[in-house]
Amino acid sequence: MTLLPLMKAVELFHGLTDAQLQRLLDISQEVVYHDGDVIFEQGAAGDALYFISEGQVEICIRCTPGTAERTEVFLGRGQIFGEMALVDRGTRSATVRCCQDDTILRVIQGDAFTALCEADTAIGYVIMRNIACDLSFKLRHRNLNLDASSQGAAALEEGGL
Amino acid sequence: MITYKVSYVVIGGEHPGAIANEIERPCVGARVRIGRGTFEIVEIHEVLPPREDFVFLHATVRPVETAEHAAE
Repeated sequence: MTLLPLMKAVELFHGLTDAQLQRLLDISQEVVYHDGDVIFEQGAAGDALYFISEGQVEICIRCTPGTAERTEVFLGRGQIFGEMALVDRGTRSATVRCCQDDTILRVIQGDAFTALCEADTAIGYVIMRNIACDLSFKLRHRNLNLDASSQGAAALEEGGL
Repeated sequence: MITYKVSYVVIGGEHPGAIANEIERPCVGARVRIGRGTFEIVEIHEVLPPREDFVFLHATVRPVETAEHAAE
């Protein structure tokens, strides 16, 4: 089965030709996770980028050691994660855990990705632009969530609770 | 083919919500699974102008008390 239609439904790859998508597909690997599996831990080294073919993961952050972990967002089909480490080479900023059985991810290793982008700078340009768009959408989601949170708090105050 | 990239925000803001791509435009009243919970869409609107085959939506959802949860 061809994976190109799947790739076309991922915003990260928006604007790439079929040939460019195929080159990316060639350097990606499929991995299957189950509910509760940890994909990577906050603070760990790693420069692979993941996109979700099927299923769902949760992004969790522990602000200070010893405190409870907090889920920041759930990501479903077509979403990417791990891109921050790919861009800034830092450690993982969050723990990512699978929360649905048979979640299918595709992984692109940083070295292979960089080599491909250097060989075809058009791919690099398009993907970096799309990563920026995706980060912007995630920020918008966070802002909407914060807004819902303040509205919820206001409603509680009005209710005298 | 149109892809709908949806930001699901749960009323009250206690739940972190989700981002997912959908192949069909979500509609009010539809149910969606986020994490281990089920939610119902109560409002939906475009959050950004479409970019070719991508439509960007914001959906407000509320938790659904499923029969499974009610029995617990």
